[in-house]
Amino acid sequence: MGEPIIKLDDIVVDFKTKDQDLLAVNHVDLTVEKGDIYGIVGYSGAGKSTLVRVINLLQRPTSGAVQVNGQNILSLNDAELRQARKKIGMIFQHFNLLNSLTIEQNVAFPLRTSKLSKSEKKKKVDELLELVGLADKKDNYPRQLSGGQKQRVGIARALANDPDILISDEATSALDPKTTESILNLLRDINEKLGLTIVLITHQMEAVKQVCNRVAVMDSGEVVERGEILDIFAKPQHPLTKAFIDTTTRLDATLKVIYQQENVKNLPASDKLIKLSYVGDSTDEPLISTLYEKFNVSANILYGNIEILRGTPLGNLIVILTGAASDTEAALAFINGQDVQVTELDPKAQSEVID
Amino acid sequence: MDFIAKYMPNVVANWEGEYGFVGAIQQTLYMTFISAIVSGILGLAVGLLVVVTDKDGIAPNRVIYSITDKLINLFRSIPFIILLAVIGPLTKLIVGTTIGENGALVPLIIGCFPFYARQVQNALVQVDPGVIEAAKAMGETNLGIVFHVYLKEGLPDLIRASVLTIISLIGLTAMAGAVGAGGLGSLAINVGYQRFENDVTILATIFVLILVFVVQAVGDLITRKVSH
Repeated sequence: MGEPIIKLDDIVVDFKTKDQDLLAVNHVDLTVEKGDIYGIVGYSGAGKSTLVRVINLLQRPTSGAVQVNGQNILSLNDAELRQARKKIGMIFQHFNLLNSLTIEQNVAFPLRTSKLSKSEKKKKVDELLELVGLADKKDNYPRQLSGGQKQRVGIARALANDPDILISDEATSALDPKTTESILNLLRDINEKLGLTIVLITHQMEAVKQVCNRVAVMDSGEVVERGEILDIFAKPQHPLTKAFIDTTTRLDATLKVIYQQENVKNLPASDKLIKLSYVGDSTDEPLISTLYEKFNVSANILYGNIEILRGTPLGNLIVILTGAASDTEAALAFINGQDVQVTELDPKAQSEVID
Repeated sequence: MDFIAKYMPNVVANWEGEYGFVGAIQQTLYMTFISAIVSGILGLAVGLLVVVTDKDGIAPNRVIYSITDKLINLFRSIPFIILLAVIGPLTKLIVGTTIGENGALVPLIIGCFPFYARQVQNALVQVDPGVIEAAKAMGETNLGIVFHVYLKEGLPDLIRASVLTIISLIGLTAMAGAVGAGGLGSLAINVGYQRFENDVTILATIFVLILVFVVQAVGDLITRKVSH
């Protein structure tokens, strides 16, 4: 870890046509470390697919530099580029398997031009099908498989040439939640077993949360925010990042319901409605009981959500603090002093988007 | 035999010999077979060229694309019966004669292969661009993509297109027959129609229909075999 395997420098992709000038990727830098699982999240049209296609030059950038595995990809001739592409596996939203070939033949397809002997190729294909759990389907055709199974074939095919990098282009977007989870788990397995670097583009923050170590958020061809997954989830800065995170916590929808509750609607001026966010085991003392003991302020928990991200808990609580006005102020000041993020909520601003 | 002799007297009279049914069937099969093979090869090559050089193709080339595309349109726009006459000199140059089944080959091929090229193009653009992209991402060469993706994934559609083309080719041989190429068309027009020997026309038609049905049936069978 630590050593960059993909380095995109100041990438611009400009689709110029007669009538319009579409800047799909606008001066983006992106560094992915070896062995990492890097998520790129954004709505469709944000430029994420175009950006990752620059990595294997399925899309040539208008300007910028591309380093993959220490190689300046842009300087390669056709034959060298084809060779480099064999070391960058790719899986797709619609699987893109050859319908005229059996599962076994599909997985063997990238090995057509490889130097391996016939028996070595067969062994390799068998191993890959074993790895993705489809050994019994090898003589079937793609049309006879479910979406999840097709994507497993796609993954086996992408791994045939022992790539260093796997690009996943919305690979779970056409799958149901349960299948999505199993595919993501498979990707994580492969990452751990084979030390493969994975770049995962998606519009599902849920997928990022499940497997990625780092994430970049893209909007209109630009990266608006990036970082370690835990930092991004704990302290998102950009409104788009917040919106994406909300799709997994559903905090916004929950708040709308809370704002409709009678006790919240008629909240006395001395009481405070707050959101507490914390990462890991932030507090040494039990916070809620301390509030009561020290400040004589009681905390009524309306909603709580704790998730475990990469082994670290990440919590959100929505709480009403009740007590004398001076006491609640003092309590707030105390919480702020802890490693807990406090956001005061105003029930009257019903349309407020929580951060 | 008595039945045929009674109701189709002219068929019996015109059964054997170069200008009879036996000869006509042979000539039609010969013209169809040779022009199908040559047009097939030419049409496939030209159709592939158009697909590959298209702006979304694997080797975009605007000049080659537009020239080829326009030529296909040009040849397809000339009515076949006129084409037969117009390219007479070329035919004479290539096969040495403009009459008989050999004289028909050149116009048949020129009339047929642009049609087939367009059919090939239509079949191959159906191939999922995602699969082409996947092949590129796997480091496949353009030639590899043509032979192992386009031709393989497009095979069922290519076979359907071929059947359609062969059937229309059988129609063209009949038309060529009317202006001296021989075959079942010639028999139906020059004997059956012009000598008022209706039984000859009807039987010639039946033979053409049988030929078409056989081609269709074989095509369907192969399509079913290669579709998964």
